Amino acid sequence: MEYIKGAWKNITMNKGRTVLTMLGIIIGISSVIAILSVGNGLKSDLTSSLDDMVSGAVTINLDPKKTDKYLTAADLKVIEDAIPIARGVSPSFSAFGESKYRRTMNTRVLGGTPGCVYEFDKGFYSGRFFTEDDVEYANDVCVLNQMSALFIFGTTDAQGLTFDLTIGDKTRTITVVGVVRSEEKQLEAAKEIIIGGSLEYYYADIYVPYSLLTTKYNLGKEQFTSFLLYPAPGMADEAAAKAKTLAENILDLRGEGAVVIQSYASLMDMYVNVLDSVTLVIALVAAISLLVGGIGVMNIMTVTVTERTREIGIRKSLGARTSSILLQFLVESSLITLLAGFIGMILGFGLSFIVGNLVNIKAAIHTTDVALVVAISVGVGIFFGIYPARRAAKLNPVDALRTE
Amino acid sequence: MEPTQSINEQVQTANDAENNSSATAPENNQTVNISESERHDQSATAPENEREHLVRITDISKIYNPGENEVRALDHVSLTIDEGEFVAIIGQSGSGKSTLMNMLGCLDTPTEGTYYLHGTDVSHMTDDEQSDIRNREIGFIFQGFNLIQSLTALENVELPLIYRKVPRRQRGELARAALERVGLGKRMDHKPGELSGGQQQRVAIARAIAQAPPILLADEPTGNLDSASSRDIMNVIHSLYEDGRTVIIITHDPGIAQQAKRIITISDGHVISDSINPNV
Repeated sequence: MEYIKGAWKNITMNKGRTVLTMLGIIIGISSVIAILSVGNGLKSDLTSSLDDMVSGAVTINLDPKKTDKYLTAADLKVIEDAIPIARGVSPSFSAFGESKYRRTMNTRVLGGTPGCVYEFDKGFYSGRFFTEDDVEYANDVCVLNQMSALFIFGTTDAQGLTFDLTIGDKTRTITVVGVVRSEEKQLEAAKEIIIGGSLEYYYADIYVPYSLLTTKYNLGKEQFTSFLLYPAPGMADEAAAKAKTLAENILDLRGEGAVVIQSYASLMDMYVNVLDSVTLVIALVAAISLLVGGIGVMNIMTVTVTERTREIGIRKSLGARTSSILLQFLVESSLITLLAGFIGMILGFGLSFIVGNLVNIKAAIHTTDVALVVAISVGVGIFFGIYPARRAAKLNPVDALRTE
Repeated sequence: MEPTQSINEQVQTANDAENNSSATAPENNQTVNISESERHDQSATAPENEREHLVRITDISKIYNPGENEVRALDHVSLTIDEGEFVAIIGQSGSGKSTLMNMLGCLDTPTEGTYYLHGTDVSHMTDDEQSDIRNREIGFIFQGFNLIQSLTALENVELPLIYRKVPRRQRGELARAALERVGLGKRMDHKPGELSGGQQQRVAIARAIAQAPPILLADEPTGNLDSASSRDIMNVIHSLYEDGRTVIIITHDPGIAQQAKRIITISDGHVISDSINPNV
């Protein structure tokens, strides 16, 4: 306590110098904090948008390098029926085209089965998903989310509306049978896009029975080399493994590694890993600025020790042990860096919110980051304070008292 | 006299606390035993009842620049000082008196010879052990006051008590009592820069007595002061002596030395006279 009081006194006595000394640490800590919190924000942003995109579907592919076999619609039905923890199985089938209502909109058309309803976990805004019958008769129906409805129709009340869907050289009139809910913030974003007039850079997503694409639009045969599996919650790995085994049995491809599971969870892991290593690299750069700042602290502490040689002599003559002097100067250097750490932390949070607003990412602050900053700044203070403090502690009292 | 009594009482408690926590005492006794056997081999000058002396230095030399240009600041000096004495060590500059004072204050170690304090060899201790000895046994009064400029008078007086780990409240009480003892009760919160030279030296004296050391070691205590302040300071030192403290003054000023009961004259690193002052 005495040491902290004394150190505070000395630090505040020479404010200009203290601030300059702290500058390096402040810059280092604030950039560490800014990077960490923007990185965290980016990660959770990416995670939630990936969640929106795939909602936990597992993709199972046939490796074209290892086999030229394929699955039929009947095979997929067998897989779906045989695995109770697979809530839905659908071919993975997509095409790009144009929707024409009042305006023309780029459209990604996803062909699927009624099992694809599990793609949407937010429920229906209106209507229903397409049915087995719709698939069997290749009906001209589609389901879309509120955001895509806004894109195509300019309204979310799109159930029952019809529009012209052109894929390649074929155009058909499609009826909307259901609208799925979108997140509020997605709707806001969609409105801004429409008002901003940059609609041509985006596309709408619509779900149609896959048979519509295969038969009426003549997009290939019912020979699927890739399908989606919607597992029961928490059963993704188990369901995928069973589906893989079953597919191998059906196609007689056991043990050839031709059936490959591609889960979006692992894809997400990959993204997060990449992001983590980017964060790490930038954090390393910030660490270098901390190093430079630390050397600045060491420098100024060495000067301080020289300036206060006489004081050290006095203290020693009064009975200060080596460890007391050591502690006195270590507390002082740590206090400088801790203070700089706090200032840097506040600046860093400010900076991360500014950067976050600019790139539309919500910067996230973790308590572990705060603890990390405190640990780092005290650590820097101690590490770079050791040398000058030892110099002070080892001074010979007679020589120290003789200096002016 | 009342403040003095209260200091002594509090000092007593502080010492008790110190003794309870001190583990150095048995080690010191061991050191003494070894040193005694050594002494019989080499020293004939020391009296038999050495334990009664507060300070006993035997055959001490301090050599700077060992080799061709060596300087013998002290050359085989031996002397004893008993508890309750008032001793002046007088000599010209360069006579070795400052070196002697550094020895007596445990600030420096001799090149040769041994220093017994309370019968304990303190000349071959580690830095930290010497720090503890200085803290417990010796109150310094320096020519240049040696106060820490950034601390108030009270904080300066508290310093040795901090290093002795006296609890905060007791520390404040002891420091205040010491400052009142030297007549600075009203200026405790002033920094040294706001005090006159005489007042600064009184703060230094308060610092020296707050820890209640048996020895007061004053190095030219009036060297930087005008004659009025000098008288003032010498009066304080006299009254501390009359309270039973051992006072050692190092000076080049015969006028100051004449106030002591015993005058030791040092020249060229040798003690050239050691006599009771007939004028006191």
